[in-house]
Amino acid sequence: MTIRLTHSIRGKLTGIIMVTSGTAVLLACAGFIASGLLNFRTRLIADLSTFSHVIGFDSIHALQSGDRQMEREVLNALRAKQSIIAAGVYNLRGEAIARYEPHREITIPSTVLADGVYDRGGHVELFTPILLGQRRLGTMYVAADARDRNARLRQYFQIAGGILLLSLLTAFVLAARLQGRISEPIVELARVAALVSKDKSFTVRVRQPLVNEGDEIGNLITGFNNMLAELEQRDRELVRYQTELETTVAQRTAELTAANEELLVAKNSAEKAAAVNAQLARESALILNSATDGIFGVDLQGEPTFLNPAGVRMLGRTLDELRGASIHKLIHHSDAAGNPMPEEGCPMGEALRRGDPYAGANDTFWRPDASTFPVEYSATTMFHEAGNKAGAVLLFRDITERRAIERLKSEFVSTVSHELRTPLTSIRGALGLLSSGLLGTVAEKGQRMLEIAVTNTDRLVRLINDILDLERIESGKVELTRGTVDAQSVMDQAREGLQSMADQARVRIVAEPMSASLWGDSDRIIQMLTNLLGNAIKFSPRDTTVTLSGIAGATEFTFCVADEGRGIPDEKLDSIFQRFSQVDASDSRNRGGSGLGLAICQSIVTAHGGRIWAEKNKPIGTRFQFTIPLAVRPAVEPQAVTPTGAGPSVLIVEDDTDLARVMATALQRRGLQTFQTASGKEAIRLCHQHEPALIVLDLGLSDLDGFGVVDSLRQSPASSNVALLVYSAIDVGSADQSRLRLGRTEFLTKSRCSFGDFEELVVRLLEAAETTKDSEHAA
Amino acid sequence: MPPKQILVIDDENDIREVAKLTLQLTENWNVWTANGGAAGTAFALSNEPDAILLDVMMPDMDGPSTLRVLQQQGVTRSIPVIFLTAKVQAADRQKFLQLGVRGIISKPFDPLTLGQQIRAMLAWE
Repeated sequence: MTIRLTHSIRGKLTGIIMVTSGTAVLLACAGFIASGLLNFRTRLIADLSTFSHVIGFDSIHALQSGDRQMEREVLNALRAKQSIIAAGVYNLRGEAIARYEPHREITIPSTVLADGVYDRGGHVELFTPILLGQRRLGTMYVAADARDRNARLRQYFQIAGGILLLSLLTAFVLAARLQGRISEPIVELARVAALVSKDKSFTVRVRQPLVNEGDEIGNLITGFNNMLAELEQRDRELVRYQTELETTVAQRTAELTAANEELLVAKNSAEKAAAVNAQLARESALILNSATDGIFGVDLQGEPTFLNPAGVRMLGRTLDELRGASIHKLIHHSDAAGNPMPEEGCPMGEALRRGDPYAGANDTFWRPDASTFPVEYSATTMFHEAGNKAGAVLLFRDITERRAIERLKSEFVSTVSHELRTPLTSIRGALGLLSSGLLGTVAEKGQRMLEIAVTNTDRLVRLINDILDLERIESGKVELTRGTVDAQSVMDQAREGLQSMADQARVRIVAEPMSASLWGDSDRIIQMLTNLLGNAIKFSPRDTTVTLSGIAGATEFTFCVADEGRGIPDEKLDSIFQRFSQVDASDSRNRGGSGLGLAICQSIVTAHGGRIWAEKNKPIGTRFQFTIPLAVRPAVEPQAVTPTGAGPSVLIVEDDTDLARVMATALQRRGLQTFQTASGKEAIRLCHQHEPALIVLDLGLSDLDGFGVVDSLRQSPASSNVALLVYSAIDVGSADQSRLRLGRTEFLTKSRCSFGDFEELVVRLLEAAETTKDSEHAA
Repeated sequence: MPPKQILVIDDENDIREVAKLTLQLTENWNVWTANGGAAGTAFALSNEPDAILLDVMMPDMDGPSTLRVLQQQGVTRSIPVIFLTAKVQAADRQKFLQLGVRGIISKPFDPLTLGQQIRAMLAWE
């Protein structure tokens, strides 16, 4: 049975109950009818059987006798039983010997059937044997009307129909009343669901009937309500999110609009900037291309990035030819004389690698064809606009022409100086003789004129000397002979030189004691002090004091020359160091100066790496101060400076002082003078001072190594021929041996020889040196 | 004691004259002069003066060449030579001293002290 789904749940429930109860009642009635019918037949057959036996028994006699009449009478007794509609008795031959046929239309069968019950044509027939003891005498036939049964059946159906009707009615009433318990909550659920889906509102709830609490429907409703609550919550959040989202979107939209406008503005200005940039790039390229200086750029890895046409022309190489190789090896491998320059520690290379600023003035660049040009260059850092390093740029200039001009100027000054000096010699000599009176006396005014001529000739000579001096210092022609200089000593020498001048001017010189070891050219330092002291005396009134003092700082020593003269105006304190500068018209020229003294001082101090300046002296006068670097190491102990022993002198340069002492003692025993130092710089100074016959040189020294010492000693003719014994801890290679040569030179490795070998070699060298000297004398 | 015989070699007439007069007047020496190195060495060879004042910058034969010639001759080798020069730089002086001269007097000289300087250099008196 199918139930149409579109029906309401009430209908469905009612239908289900009706169908169920109807079916039950129907089945019960069917059972009841079947049972009734079965009982009816059994009883009918039992009745018939009883009759059959009774009648059969009665007919036994008749059968035995064959008395037909009697037989008929027996059968007629059946009339009392209305339900029997026919009966007969058959003998063993199957001949009907008696018949009972009250109804014409119904007759007994003509043939005897087997014993048993037969349903036929609305009545029930029964064949039973007629027995006498165990002997069969015939067959008894009885037929009963079954229509009685049908009437009963009809009655049954009527009762069953009534029951069915009544039970369906009851079921319907009960269903109508009870189905609400189940259907109502569901209907309510459906209603609420429909409402939710129609209104899209999750605020409604399903009413919870008390009877359903705890059962499935109750749970369903609770679940549904919870779901609604959750949906409502979600809905609220959704609404909130939506609101927020809308706000955000509005905000973003506004921002985007603003940004868009800015972008437009930026785009416009970028386009303008690009145009300007392009213009600038064109101009930059033009500048780079037309610059006469070489411009060479490297990136942070030291890889060449550009080289302008002037650079290509000068170097004889294109940018590509500079790539991938060491710049130093290509263009900067040797100095002008062809001596190799180590790449390690090359200041130009370092400057390009690190991007530190560095300027080189006297350098040489090489071309691929092995020609060279003198160059002046400066390396500077390139920065990105953001301020981070982009690399370095090397600006270089071929200074061949300038060198030539400088040489011409230098030669010119030198020649002019000599050419002026020649006539001046005659003039000065003649005037000197005249004014001396040796050639006879002249009138007083004439004598005065002669003295003026002598004074001014002297001044002219000084001027020429100073011009030449300044030119030579500034052109770098005069190499400073640097060494360790005792501050007290140079101060004393300067003072002694000017003492008579001070006495004449009645100016007192006070020199404060000082103790410091300087690194410089002592003659030049004395020259500076003499200049400053001379100036101070010249500008000091009588009976005033000129004070010489000095103070040692961390790395440099400051000399100070203070006078009590009229002082220099503030605005002139800087300019007085310029050539021919004067404080006022009555100045140095009238006092016999050349006007170049301070300029020379400045040149000398600059060459020393120091500074010079003037300031007011308190309470009156001027203080001139200049600085000279301190020697890296203080002078070695005094006994080392004074040679000990007699005979030819040996300078021992050895940083292991114990070993030096052993060597000194051993050599003194052999009748030699020795003096020793651990410092390379001090060694150079001692060598110039004492002119030893032999130098014993260790290579590893604290300040200047053995190579530095030899290089320096080679510069001076006095020391370039001194005998040399290189006594080193390690073997000296042949390349290094060629660098380490002075006069007669020998090499000895400390670990490879005995001390006796060393002593003998010293003696042999000294003998050889003596022989050479003698032969030179003889020549 | 006979007066010292001094030879002045210079290519400048005026300087020779001034120097000669100066040394005659201040020191009473016998002063001879020669114009140039060739004439000077020739004179020195034949006259063996007590000292020679030698100019450095001269055409043809300069001071150092003249000195070398003098040093190579047995007769003149021992004659002390003093350079009289307009070259006043320290480096030049150093170089000259190495050639074996006894002293260097720079030009212009002070006539009143010229003789004293020479005597000091030659350790006369």
